[in-house]
Amino acid sequence: MTATVSTTSVTPTRRRRRSARLSPLLVAFVLVPFAVESIWVFWPALQGFWFSLTRWDGMSPPTFVGTDNYVELTGDATFRGALLNTVIWLVLFGGLSVLGGFGMALVLQKERRGVGFYRAALFTPVVFSLVVTALVWRVFYQPDGIADTLLRAVGLEHLIRPWLADPQTALYAVILPALWRQIGYVMVLFLAGLKAIDPALHEAARMDGANSWQRLRHVTIPQLKGVNAVVLSVIVIDSLRSFDIVWSLTKGGPYHSSELLSTYMYSTAFQSLRLGYASAIAVVIFVLALAVILGYLVRAFREEA
Amino acid sequence: MSDFDPGRRRFLGHLGLAGMGALGASSFLSACASSASGPTTSNGSGAVTIQSNLSSPQAKEAMEKLIANFNAQGKGKASLNTIASETFRTQLPTYLTSANPPDLYTWYAGSVANDYASKNLLLDVSDVWKSMGDYPESLRTLSTEASGKQVFVPMNNYWWGFFYRKSNFAKWGVQEPKTWTDFLALCETLKSKGVPPIGIGLGDTPWIASAWFDYLNIRINGAPFHRELLAGKQRFDDPKVKAVFTRWREALPYFDPKGKAYPFQEATTALLAGKTGMFLIGTFFADAAPKDALGDLDFFRFPIIDPAVPLAEEAPTDGFFASAKTANPDGTKALLTYLSGVEAQEAYVKASSGIVLPANPKAKASDSPLVAKGKAMLDEAKELTQFFNRDSSDALQPTADTALTKFLDKPDQIDAILREWQAGAEKVFKG
Repeated sequence: MTATVSTTSVTPTRRRRRSARLSPLLVAFVLVPFAVESIWVFWPALQGFWFSLTRWDGMSPPTFVGTDNYVELTGDATFRGALLNTVIWLVLFGGLSVLGGFGMALVLQKERRGVGFYRAALFTPVVFSLVVTALVWRVFYQPDGIADTLLRAVGLEHLIRPWLADPQTALYAVILPALWRQIGYVMVLFLAGLKAIDPALHEAARMDGANSWQRLRHVTIPQLKGVNAVVLSVIVIDSLRSFDIVWSLTKGGPYHSSELLSTYMYSTAFQSLRLGYASAIAVVIFVLALAVILGYLVRAFREEA
Repeated sequence: MSDFDPGRRRFLGHLGLAGMGALGASSFLSACASSASGPTTSNGSGAVTIQSNLSSPQAKEAMEKLIANFNAQGKGKASLNTIASETFRTQLPTYLTSANPPDLYTWYAGSVANDYASKNLLLDVSDVWKSMGDYPESLRTLSTEASGKQVFVPMNNYWWGFFYRKSNFAKWGVQEPKTWTDFLALCETLKSKGVPPIGIGLGDTPWIASAWFDYLNIRINGAPFHRELLAGKQRFDDPKVKAVFTRWREALPYFDPKGKAYPFQEATTALLAGKTGMFLIGTFFADAAPKDALGDLDFFRFPIIDPAVPLAEEAPTDGFFASAKTANPDGTKALLTYLSGVEAQEAYVKASSGIVLPANPKAKASDSPLVAKGKAMLDEAKELTQFFNRDSSDALQPTADTALTKFLDKPDQIDAILREWQAGAEKVFKG
């Protein structure tokens, strides 16, 4: 708010010139959200760093313990499991949704009769909230549910197991609904990218005798560079913040086998009431996200330069 | 905002200040937890706010009736907020530590209440207890915190047992077992008839497994050891604890294998449909049972394993505690006095469907044979325990969930499981 005050107190001539570039209204539109944001976002984030250095149950005042929480993290088997699961999640959920979304976009990019229906159908899961998605899939996975019935119908009943309660399958059983939803979203991003490619490029490649694989490899994919950046950031961010679907399907169980960093942070904070330790996990998630995104940005800038 | 100035700058200033005020007051915790139900306050109006987690339809209606009765008496004014159980549980610390908390809460007696009391968050309700002279000593002890003042007012308790359908037991030609050996024999018979003998529901409700741990421990090692263990004064990797799992393993082949995939509500359905033989559960499960099945239900106590161990039963006690920061302590105590009375407790029992026993010894329980049997079982017990999380803490419960579900899956890894459990428990006790 100080900026608005100072601009009004300067000489009229200067003010006119400055306000042409930077009106007080504009300054307010930047500064007010910034002030609100700093109270609402930046300050709690900084507090989170401070809490990660304390032991705190949420009720008594926090006690400072230095790096104890981080030392404990290094020896925490559950944390290591959650970290590994988060990596698996990033690779499988991220990788398959890019492949699936790109594949679907390629198949559905040409305008044909009925293609709109398929696009809409694939996009439908994106519209549902993840908690609703979880409810639907829970019915699918329940004992004697649709999954078991399907397996029985094709004579694979020896594969039947309590999908969400078996530590071997729980994580993958949760990735599937997450993918089911994400693929439609990624498909739309790629469709937009494919539409933006100049058809003349394909025409020229065809004239040069390139087959459809060569055209995909040397024309389509390089032209999608801009979209790739968007998709990659969306995927990385969505993977690291994945929480709702896991929490509503398994709560990270059975015995931590489908635990992600996000669910472990939540249960440590609000079930075990160890808010200091949970803050340390939150800091790790933040650092990971930052590393991935910065790593990508640095590479992207270097390529551009 | 009485001096509201429509000028733009003033408006922005107001916004900023309002934002600051709102955020300054709320702690990190309340900012993080979902704000589906911010603490409602009662400053000035004089009405006592009561925050209730009794959200099942009948219990909610029963509470509404009680509050309406209290308001009709003209001794004070109260208003009820009913909140979904899970939200209530996670928000409770936030309510209690907020600057302007609701006055009264439904919650549990024992270690859970004592924990809040030790942080000076609960109102001293010793005054209320002066009018509760006819309550049994056991309930008074349960409601008393370390420094000797009462912080809790019980409303009712219920019991845990092996529930079954009378018609099914008759059809299978089996009887209630008394001892552990009888029990295993019964399981064997049911299994030979193609019925999974023991129902369980761990899908969304892994804490159900704790009932097995609690009961085996109080049957084998006795209630005092159990309490010490849950208070962190004994170790989970103690050979005495391992003995619990040795017994449990004998019953493992008889558990319903589907039980680990669905929650206790579906395990109830399975029991009622005759897809499982019996189910170790608290009476609250009847909330999910159709009315016509209630008459066919019966239960037996957890079988005796060592006759030398004094008989103990799980009898979780529900009731109320109040915030130490209440703006209206007199009104809150008036409401508590009403709730501890015969009239209120009988009205609650009548209106709620749950099979519960009123805490006030003069209040009549519902006159079904099932309730009479439950009351007789608790009266016979030398010791009463609450439940795993109520005898320890909500924070310790996840460690039990992990250890017990893992044991059910991988019983041969019990040594490692108990070591992990001890390590997890130590972290919780350390904070």
